[in-house]
Amino acid sequence: MKKWLIILLALTMTVPLLSACWNQKELTDLAFVLALGIDKGEDDMYHVSFQIVNPGNVSTGQGGGGGQGLPIAVYKSTGRTITEAARNATKKVSRRLYYAHTNLVVVSEEVAKEKNSLLHIMDGLDRDPEFRTTTELVIARDSTAEELVTTLTILDKLPVMKITKEIKATEAMLGENMSVTIDDFMNGIISTGKEPIVNGYRLVGIKEKARLAENLQTTTTDAFLAADGLAVIKDGELIDWIESNKARGVIWVLDKAKSTDITISWNGKKNGLSMVPIRSKTKVATAFKNGKPIINISIENEGWISEANTAIDLTDPKIMEKIQKLVERKIEKEVLSSVKEAQKLRCDIFGFGENVHKTNPKLWKKLESNWNDYFADLEVNVKVDSYARREGVRTKPFWSVLKFK
Amino acid sequence: MEKVKISGYQLFVLVVLFEMGSAILLGLGSEVKQDAWIAILLGLFGGIIVFFIYYQLYKYYPDLPLTSYLQKIVGKWVGRLLGLLYIVYFMYVAARVLRDFGELLTTTIYNSTPLFIINTLMIVTIIYGVHKGFEVLARVGELYFIIIYLTAILGMLLIIFSGLIHLSNLAPILENGLNPVIKTGLTQIITFPFGEMIVITMVLPLINDKKKAKWVCLSGMVLAGINITITAVVNISVLGVDLYHRSPFPLLTTIGRIQIADFIERLDVLFMLYLVIGGFFKIAIFYYAALAGAVDVFQMKNQGKLVFPIGIIVLFASITIASNFAEFIKEGIAVTIYLSWPFQIIIPSILLTIAYFRNRKKQTSSL
Repeated sequence: MKKWLIILLALTMTVPLLSACWNQKELTDLAFVLALGIDKGEDDMYHVSFQIVNPGNVSTGQGGGGGQGLPIAVYKSTGRTITEAARNATKKVSRRLYYAHTNLVVVSEEVAKEKNSLLHIMDGLDRDPEFRTTTELVIARDSTAEELVTTLTILDKLPVMKITKEIKATEAMLGENMSVTIDDFMNGIISTGKEPIVNGYRLVGIKEKARLAENLQTTTTDAFLAADGLAVIKDGELIDWIESNKARGVIWVLDKAKSTDITISWNGKKNGLSMVPIRSKTKVATAFKNGKPIINISIENEGWISEANTAIDLTDPKIMEKIQKLVERKIEKEVLSSVKEAQKLRCDIFGFGENVHKTNPKLWKKLESNWNDYFADLEVNVKVDSYARREGVRTKPFWSVLKFK
Repeated sequence: MEKVKISGYQLFVLVVLFEMGSAILLGLGSEVKQDAWIAILLGLFGGIIVFFIYYQLYKYYPDLPLTSYLQKIVGKWVGRLLGLLYIVYFMYVAARVLRDFGELLTTTIYNSTPLFIINTLMIVTIIYGVHKGFEVLARVGELYFIIIYLTAILGMLLIIFSGLIHLSNLAPILENGLNPVIKTGLTQIITFPFGEMIVITMVLPLINDKKKAKWVCLSGMVLAGINITITAVVNISVLGVDLYHRSPFPLLTTIGRIQIADFIERLDVLFMLYLVIGGFFKIAIFYYAALAGAVDVFQMKNQGKLVFPIGIIVLFASITIASNFAEFIKEGIAVTIYLSWPFQIIIPSILLTIAYFRNRKKQTSSL
């Protein structure tokens, strides 16, 4: 009898454990927030848009085929802080907002231009255990963050995927944008020897149509999202943009450029040749002359000739060498002009200061307090080594055998 | 004392798990920024010297735990009093590690679970383990040692292949000179985790091959020290100095960075796995030391009777030592000065001096 009582007692004691997790979250009770759009209204409150995935309408493949509705839903709420806005949002959403899969934070240009607004967002995101700081940060150019977050996209059902994948693709193929995460941004903000840059994104086309399902019914969508330029942040606020034509030099110095295209003129023919680097490596080193730092940037890349729109003998090593020289000069010019641009803004987006800090900590202590002003007059040398290794599956271009001129 | 024997390998495994325990999770030596790893190596060096004090004492009394030879060295009553203090110290450290463990889980994944529940579940497991005896702990250690190493190697490879390591974050080396590094290494890191080897003095008499004791403990300490150093280097080179300094648990943040091919990511579970295993052994060994000490000082026959009371004390102490995390960390600094140094270094040094003279007298008189 006693034995049975003990067994019964032991069994009863396991009951509280069997109910499993204390703070369990069922999948059906969660609303996965994919993107946050942060604007500031006239009431001086944050207007946060939560882009939430609508799981039933995303599934692809032959079986499911996707539902009838839209893949995302956007809810908006306001608050004096991000946390307040997030909690206020629960009045509108039936499920618990879940941030572990948030991949994108969009900040409007208006917010970014004001120091207090931009920096006041960050700690809430940085501190939250659920939210990942590897999330991509983007600034909405000439449009509100809400507009960016509500836009529907064709190829990728989830607009967030479009943006994050696109940034990675341009980083790899063109080199005018690069992935900038909340972490990278925070590092830049905190560091005295480096200022952050953030990708700009623009809603192009008829803005009113961006959020309508009919935007998905045409091949040339009426409104679409496109990366455009790099925002330069100094002392926690957006001071200016580096436009696409100068952006590539920046990415190059930061050693993020993988591939791009370099078009040069040949024998007086404009845009006669294109070279595509496939590998690129940038090294930044600090040298000292008379106790003053000099930055030496050396870039090494190799690639192939992707286009030759002129009569040229690509089988001749001497000609290849000449091409390489031209490409080198072109890249040099581009990188230098980007550096000049940043120097004009008095903003060390390249992290040269950190490099000085690492090579000469003593000197850095003297320069640290007004580094950005010092940076503006810094001597920067660029040296490029380019190698055109091969020329595709043709040797001489057809231009060489053309009979007419 | 229990009549159990553990092998040299088992002791080695326990030393490694115990030393790495909670030390790997925290941002050790973050005061000296990118030189934290140098401070850890210095701490290891100091810890080895401190260990030789314990080892010398062990050589004088190879069959007795700390609490017993205390009574032989400084006399019965003073020895018992000191032994009692050591028991309280062991329980307090066990409670601190338990709190560390609970805080970590509540700040990261179990945000809405009360600390008490998490700590209770952990202590119940440990009570069960210790109740089964030290040999069981040692065998479980052998099993988990392999699991921990496999996950550590896996985690390391994933971090490397994610391309996260930027060794340039470690520069400039010794930016503010050697002094702050020596200070951090030889005042703080020497006591946590290396000086905590003091609990091993309660376990050393259990080893079956007495000759092995020295090398087993030393190699365990060195291996653990190297692992902690590597972890610090990886953390700093992945996160950068600033984030290493601002994260309460840098390793968790580092593991959160792993992203391979857009689908191997969010591997925090690796960290949690380590956390539970490492926490278990560290608490269990301190707990066991307190238990064995109490049995010894109060001359009880059956240690089973004391297992539950000590467990409950550790549990309640872990909840009540601080009302919030900031207070808990602040107390940790005081612990280093007022508890770790006296209990780990000062008292053992005095004991060794007295033991040296006593034993010399014995030897000369016997001649």
